Amino acid sequence: MLATLVSALAASAGCSATATMPAPECPMGGSSLIVAQSVPSASQVPCFESLPEGWSVSSVDVNQDRSVIRLDSDRAGPGAAILHLDRTCDVSAAVSTASEFPDAERFDQIEQLAPGFRASRFYRFDGGCVRWDFAFDHNASATEAVAVGDALHLIPRQELSDRLSETFVGEGL
Amino acid sequence: MTIVATDGGRRRRRPSGEPPPLPRPIDAAMIGWLAGFGCFAVLWVWVFLSDDPARWITLRDLELMTPVVENRVGWLDRIMEATNRAGLYWATPTVGWATLAAALVTKRIRHAVILLGSLSATAMVMTATADGIRRPRPLGLTITGEWEGFAQPSRPVALLTVVLVAAGLTLAPPKLRRYWYATAAAALTAFGVAQIYTAVEHPTDTLAGATTGTAITIVMYRLFAPETAFPITYRTAKTAHLDITGPREAAIRRALRDQLTIDVHSIRPVNLASSSGSTPLLIEADDGETYFGKLYASTHLRSDRSYKLGRTLLYGQLEDETRYTSVRRLVQHEDYMLHVMQRVGVPCPAPHGIVEITPEREYLLVTDHLADATEISDADITEQVIDEALAVVGVLWKAGLAHRDIKPGNVMVQDGHIRMVDVSFAQVRPSPWRQAVDLANMMLVLALGSTPELVYRHARRHFTDEEISEAFAATRGVTMPSQLRRSLRGDGRRLLDEFRRLAPTRPPVAIQRWTLRRAGLTLGYGAIAVSVLAVLASGLSDIGLA
Repeated sequence: MLATLVSALAASAGCSATATMPAPECPMGGSSLIVAQSVPSASQVPCFESLPEGWSVSSVDVNQDRSVIRLDSDRAGPGAAILHLDRTCDVSAAVSTASEFPDAERFDQIEQLAPGFRASRFYRFDGGCVRWDFAFDHNASATEAVAVGDALHLIPRQELSDRLSETFVGEGL
Repeated sequence: MTIVATDGGRRRRRPSGEPPPLPRPIDAAMIGWLAGFGCFAVLWVWVFLSDDPARWITLRDLELMTPVVENRVGWLDRIMEATNRAGLYWATPTVGWATLAAALVTKRIRHAVILLGSLSATAMVMTATADGIRRPRPLGLTITGEWEGFAQPSRPVALLTVVLVAAGLTLAPPKLRRYWYATAAAALTAFGVAQIYTAVEHPTDTLAGATTGTAITIVMYRLFAPETAFPITYRTAKTAHLDITGPREAAIRRALRDQLTIDVHSIRPVNLASSSGSTPLLIEADDGETYFGKLYASTHLRSDRSYKLGRTLLYGQLEDETRYTSVRRLVQHEDYMLHVMQRVGVPCPAPHGIVEITPEREYLLVTDHLADATEISDADITEQVIDEALAVVGVLWKAGLAHRDIKPGNVMVQDGHIRMVDVSFAQVRPSPWRQAVDLANMMLVLALGSTPELVYRHARRHFTDEEISEAFAATRGVTMPSQLRRSLRGDGRRLLDEFRRLAPTRPPVAIQRWTLRRAGLTLGYGAIAVSVLAVLASGLSDIGLA
């Protein structure tokens, strides 16, 4: 019987606390609420509509300071894209570009195009910042960053709070 | 022909429905905590399936929390935030590692493994439940503490609960345990209050974590290290020896009266130092008769299993043993072997019967008491004693039996005559190697109290030189009972070498036999040990130990 316990222990001890946490799903599903709570000052909250083919969520790590969502790609490699939500971000080395989100500024910082795409993309808004870190395998095309970037949406915190008040309890975020 | 019971019909059969002399105890604590965990499990499923209960519970939680959170006091904030950080980061690894280290130092390896298993199991339940329920941190409140992941159930509270409960079950003797639990409850309460004060989690999150951690830990320890089999004590008593005072003594008295018509005057443990597989008892009856009893329980069954596993790994095919599947079968075997020994003429105590104390869990084997008998190491070893002892081995050989545990403690001398005791390891139709080892061990026992030359001269009256040579070619340290090994070391003379010098030279008999089963067991246990170490090293943070 003890051997059974030992075997079960070996099998279970590798279960990560963060490995199975769902990613934030637009508008209010998955870990959206708790991601919003990780940076209370952030006026925008990141979420995913649907990931492009070949991409999957590897881990979601959320605490009182930030959220980190790691994505794997069958073409670009494990951990090819990592999304961060923080209070601030350093854009001093990045270049300002046109943003697809009306309430957020976008900055791009490309370190290497090929082989092995390396870059960071920042979305800065009131009270917070979302940062993509891309680190692709040598054979992967940089266009994969476009595909996965399109899956990201930013929802205004107030919209999320209003939905919560209406559908769940009277409290907002 | 009239069939009449040998006792004249005075024995009493326990009717169906009547409880046994010592009923199995009901573990109220475990049932209570399991019930609590069950309530939360039902609640979690309900919340998973519907938002309504989640909404209602959250509103009640916020009603409790809001007055506290909105009336925070500056000096208390710092204390609560520090308590929150302490519980989150260092309390669990500190208590956990201290308990593991203490368990290893006190040789409670089983308890250490169970602690790790409890942490793993709790972490798994926490992860699965939290990801299913997806409860956010308290809404609408300013959170001042630190946290990670979903709120319900509280992972840090659960893991801290596990190490605190496990520390009590691993290190605290039962009489002191309540003091430890009072301290642990105070610590957990402080942590829980801090979690609520800093708005990190709801009251139900804390309660769920504490309940889950307690329930899982208690169940794990009850299943894999029950107190009756693995008592926490700091005395030098062997774990095999049961406490026969209180309810157990009353049960033994009643059982002896009902089942063997023995009215007990007194009962006490005897010869504990030389016994490890049972609790030996001296039973004095009201009619002046004296009996010897061996009390067997599930602890002895576990010892037997571990012993046989070790022997299988060490010896393999030559020690073809199957483990007993119940205490009843263990006792039945010894009772049977006593009858067999008596029938073939081996001088040993006459069996009187098996008494049931708790069905399937505790039995008492009652035999004659050898009045004024002493262990051979304390007796005068005359030439008659030597001859009789060697003749016993001859009888065993001719009858196709082996004692398999010949050591000073099992060879008694009563009125100058040999008496063999403790036949629990005896075997019918043993391997020739095992019979040869019996002869060698008996000669070594006799030589401890005399000389190898004298013993060898007498042995040649019962056995050929080739048989004696075979005996010592098959014998080495690992084939001797540990008491015999210790006695030989303490004696100082190299008795084994002396006998090998006296006997004709013969190549050592190989005692290592590899079979598929032995190879599989060895590889299997080795793989488990390596994988546990490897996986634990990578998962320590997930179970709160890093």
